[in-house]
Amino acid sequence: MNSTAQDEITEYVERVRAALADLPEATRAELLEDLPEHLAEIRAEDTVTLTDRLGTPEAYAAELRATAAAFVGGFPDPPKRRFDPLLAARADVMRVLGSADVRIGPVLGYPKASDFLQLLRPAWWVLRGYLAAMALAYFVDGQSTQVGLLPRIGNSTLVALVLLAGCIVVSIAVGRRRFELAGWKRLALYGGTTVLVFFAIGGFFSADSDVRDTGYNDVGYSSGGNPYDYIQDVFVYDNQGRPVPGARLFDQDGQPITIGNAYCTDPDTGEVDHTRSMGYPYCPDAAPFASARPEPTATETPDERPAPDEPSAAPIPTPTSASPSK
Amino acid sequence: MDTTQLLKGVLDLAVLAALRDGDGYGYDILRRLRAAGLDEVGDASVYGTLRRLFAGGFLNTYVVPSDEGPHRKYYGLNAAGHAELQRSGKVWQGFASTMDDLLRERETA
Repeated sequence: MNSTAQDEITEYVERVRAALADLPEATRAELLEDLPEHLAEIRAEDTVTLTDRLGTPEAYAAELRATAAAFVGGFPDPPKRRFDPLLAARADVMRVLGSADVRIGPVLGYPKASDFLQLLRPAWWVLRGYLAAMALAYFVDGQSTQVGLLPRIGNSTLVALVLLAGCIVVSIAVGRRRFELAGWKRLALYGGTTVLVFFAIGGFFSADSDVRDTGYNDVGYSSGGNPYDYIQDVFVYDNQGRPVPGARLFDQDGQPITIGNAYCTDPDTGEVDHTRSMGYPYCPDAAPFASARPEPTATETPDERPAPDEPSAAPIPTPTSASPSK
Repeated sequence: MDTTQLLKGVLDLAVLAALRDGDGYGYDILRRLRAAGLDEVGDASVYGTLRRLFAGGFLNTYVVPSDEGPHRKYYGLNAAGHAELQRSGKVWQGFASTMDDLLRERETA
């Protein structure tokens, strides 16, 4: 028997079991005792699906329940559910999903959309493994370091790859054996998967906003980022404290340094225009020391001005150094 | 009226009768019933009935290891089962002959 048939049998048994979920465990086990063997025999001699041959698992369960009951005082009827509104809502949702399933399927080229989704199941297992690895790394190590695309723990790529491979293998193995899980294990799988889905959604949007908003990083918030991110413009002063217009900046390799924002806001109109300056500063009118800048004129006393060869003659003057009251 | 409805009333008797000639496992009994002409009998109905008759004390059961494939759970009539088969069989025969008479009267009327 191939694994597809085994899967089909396991799934059928599980759905029958689910439909009998209200019975005591021992009773249900008795009722289901012969079912796998029976299905295996049917599968061995017949090529149609179990559902075609036997009806839905739910119908099978109902028939089993009906025939096994009455005689010996029998089994209780399915208990009256307490959450009828919830169940009704669930039924409504399932009905809508079911009709969407059938309508969307042909658009995709399948009888039902779920037929296509089932083909994607192994891909989901791989993705789930990746998400589990990321979640694990995040909760173990995420607070101390920036979260990247690999599940790094302690910044080790090797650990990340091993963890990733391990989680994917486990996820696939769990996926293949999902029908063998029962009770709390099954609940744990569903619960864990739900947590992972929320984790993935949160992580996805967080990563999305990180990528889009890098330009808006405020210096106060950028920890470990580029310390020059906040720079809008560059003002170069010569050793006389005079601003150098149209300055060009180059790195050690002769590559021009492009920094800042080549747009200027007109202080009077508030309009934003592309700079007309060919170098730095982009916006000469916005010079930080413009008002206090000492004009190198003869009216000022020469000894107040820093001598060119003095160490204190920094190329960029500070407002206090420009103040005559010093 | 369809056979499925009728079958519900006599399924116990049918399964007891199928076991009269020898013990069998579920699928085996299902095949006997189908071979006898009860095509509508559902798989789940046979298993449910076997379970119910066993719970009622009319059957004994034992597991037989199989060379190829899974172990099979065999069911067989015990003394109570044989007695029940006798009793139910008589009830059925009485009922069936009454129905036969009824239908015959209608036809001749």
